[in-house]
Amino acid sequence: MNTLLTIARREFRAYFDSPLAYVVICLSLFVLGLLVFMYQGGYWQIDRATLQPLFEWVPAGLAILVVPVVTMRLMAEERRSGTIEMLITLPVKDSDVIMGKYLGALGLVLTVVLASLAYPIMMFKFPWNLGPLDMGPVLSGYVGLLLYSAAAVAVGLLVSSLSESQAVSFFITFMVLGAFWFSGNVADQMQGTFANVLHYVSFQSRMTGFMRGLIDTRDVVFFLSITVLALVVSFRALERRKWA
Amino acid sequence: MTADVMIQASDLSKRFGSVRALDKVSFEVKKGEVVGFLGPNGAGKSTTMRILTCFLAPTSGTAKVRGVDVFDDPLEVRRNLGYLPQRAPLYTDMVVRDYLKFVADVRGLDAAAFRKALESIIEVCGLAQALDKDISALSHGFRQRVGLGQALLHNPQILVLDEPTADLDPNEKAEVIRYIKEIGKDRTVLLSTHNLSEVEDACARAIIVSKGKVVADGPLEEIRAKTGSVRYVVTVDEKLGLAGKSAPKVAELRQALDAIKGALRSRELPTDEKVHKVELTGAKDSDLRAEIFQLMVAQGWLMLELRRDAQSLDAVFRDLTRGDEALDRGHALEEDAAGDEDDEQSDEDDEQSDEDEDDEESSDDSDADDEASDETAEKKDA
Repeated sequence: MNTLLTIARREFRAYFDSPLAYVVICLSLFVLGLLVFMYQGGYWQIDRATLQPLFEWVPAGLAILVVPVVTMRLMAEERRSGTIEMLITLPVKDSDVIMGKYLGALGLVLTVVLASLAYPIMMFKFPWNLGPLDMGPVLSGYVGLLLYSAAAVAVGLLVSSLSESQAVSFFITFMVLGAFWFSGNVADQMQGTFANVLHYVSFQSRMTGFMRGLIDTRDVVFFLSITVLALVVSFRALERRKWA
Repeated sequence: MTADVMIQASDLSKRFGSVRALDKVSFEVKKGEVVGFLGPNGAGKSTTMRILTCFLAPTSGTAKVRGVDVFDDPLEVRRNLGYLPQRAPLYTDMVVRDYLKFVADVRGLDAAAFRKALESIIEVCGLAQALDKDISALSHGFRQRVGLGQALLHNPQILVLDEPTADLDPNEKAEVIRYIKEIGKDRTVLLSTHNLSEVEDACARAIIVSKGKVVADGPLEEIRAKTGSVRYVVTVDEKLGLAGKSAPKVAELRQALDAIKGALRSRELPTDEKVHKVELTGAKDSDLRAEIFQLMVAQGWLMLELRRDAQSLDAVFRDLTRGDEALDRGHALEEDAAGDEDDEQSDEDDEQSDEDEDDEESSDDSDADDEASDETAEKKDA
């Protein structure tokens, strides 16, 4: 457990030792602000004290850019530079390496998510007070975001474990998460079993409940399953080096 | 197994797909020994070390470190070891001190133990001026020292160092070797390299691997005495002959030299001058200098230089790993890179090195074998 946390801490710190963490946090907040308030009228158009636009945009943003950027180097860079050999020949379990890296990356993504809390606080508490905020959907929305980030980072870690190039890792994670997100939109245009399947796996469809204040155990289990599955496969991918 | 055997490998084999990287490698390293692990690139040095450090699993065979099997308890094995992988891969985004702290944390050292360990490795590895620098800003020599330092942090009794001197300039090399000697005073060290002078400097014993097999294992003196051949370097003018006679062609010269009784083989050496430079290998304890000189006089060739090389470890190495050298030239470092061609020819070579192994004791027989194996080598070259 201790080694796990040591690895997670190093991983998390490594983001802040490079410009990456700062760029990611600042740019995501900036772009998020633009989208929430300006895109097609955004927040003002809805004319209600709700944070729904926020939860529509944060996950999409995470899926499209933040998660791939944060997770692309996790394993790919270690393998390319050979540091994986140094790390693994320390007395650490393979599972500690995977979990440590996972928590480190998830830490940064959650930092971005939590930083977005600045919006509701500033809009509805201080310095502005735009109206009484319905807290329920905000809380459930953040629970959804948490679960969603956990799943997305696990998928990113998995892709990174399977590739040796950061660029490839970025691109594939980007595509996979994008596909998971927009499969809901695609399904809307279709009918039949396939559309149902697409709806079923769509991260967007799964997030709608959370946005509206509904914490559905099916959605919770869905995100947790994706997380666990991706972590287990990443672990296997790391173990595979021994036998390949 | 006696208590003082620190590293024990028995019948280790490792396959990467169709490529056989290790083939029944067996050796032991005893407490307090500094052992050089030698071999050409791709011979299986790194693979062996990676198995010992539980980074890879052997396809078959067992490896034990301080009596602990790498399969049974990899964590315990790693706790007992200090390992420096090839090219010292470090987290370049970290400061040296933070990096060492990270390694210490993973190894479970508390703050006081870390401070103490840090003091000692700063001294042993000469890290004082690098401690607060970014690893990315360090020269390769310093990175190598940091790598050595992290391997020493927990004061392990066993050190496994994979090419600790590769890519270093001669000064840095000498320094790292000095550190290793210092460290090796009270520890067991397995050190891989293809630089032989280092082995002569730092180690008392060497294990030579070639094409995934151990071809020699013993004290340096023994290995040096093992191969039964002497080398001569003959330089002949390629334009002028003696007293109006014409100068020889290379083929002609080699043929004539090969015909000398006691000569085993010859090969042309590269040169920038307008001369033929030929290396002739003679049987053990022979002296062909007189015969070579007489040949030159009889043919009217103008010999510019004749030199007999004392048997160096270099030559032994080349002898023992001959097949490898010819096949692996130009190949990438990774074992995986060895192509299918190797496999086809490897059967032939395997037989050869088997014989070498069997004949370790009886040096008389090995001469004959040497001749036989040289012929195969010749054919391959042609």
